[in-house]
Amino acid sequence: MSKLSIIVSSERLDKLYPAVVLASSAATMGWDVELFFTFFGLLALKKGYQPSSLSTDYISYNEIFSEAISKGSMPRWDEMLIKAKETRKLKIFACTTTMGLLKIGKNDLKDFVDDFAGSATFLDRSKESDINLFL
Amino acid sequence: MYKVDIEVDAKYSFCPGPLLKLFEAAKKAKPGQIIKLLATDPAAPDDVKNWAESIGHEFLNVDEKGEVYEIYVKIIGS
Repeated sequence: MSKLSIIVSSERLDKLYPAVVLASSAATMGWDVELFFTFFGLLALKKGYQPSSLSTDYISYNEIFSEAISKGSMPRWDEMLIKAKETRKLKIFACTTTMGLLKIGKNDLKDFVDDFAGSATFLDRSKESDINLFL
Repeated sequence: MYKVDIEVDAKYSFCPGPLLKLFEAAKKAKPGQIIKLLATDPAAPDDVKNWAESIGHEFLNVDEKGEVYEIYVKIIGS
């Protein structure tokens, strides 16, 4: 079966959504999927934090984006992930480097995080992937 | 045209909304049942075809009715 690995390096919606859309579609197709949340992508996994803004370049689209999500025409990113995880094909890894850097402890992370990984672990896991993306 | 067992309305939902709704319905469906998915996302017919082929369900047909695609899938396994 195919495998998709994505490095999620930003919690801005214009980066987070493409990652989550591809990941959840792949999981429903029966693919193995691994997401590695690193640097400012890791903020999305922090308890009590909800990503809500696009990158500065696209900030003028913020309202349109929020409206699509609140109306339900675009599912919420975390709901997509949780639903995709029901396939048991999708795993979410938190980057330990970033946890140290941003002072985020294991207990600060949302419940849908599966495991922690350093760069060597993720590289080793992703080398067998058919598709590797950095977003 | 087909004897539809489950109808899923995913109109005005963007990718991957229709696929996720179909996936949810497929999980609850029994082998042999036919799901009719209503979608307006222009990517939905191809997405559903690729999904069905990769997961082992049977993509039956798509009817375009104005802006709405009526997509029929037969559930093979569970």
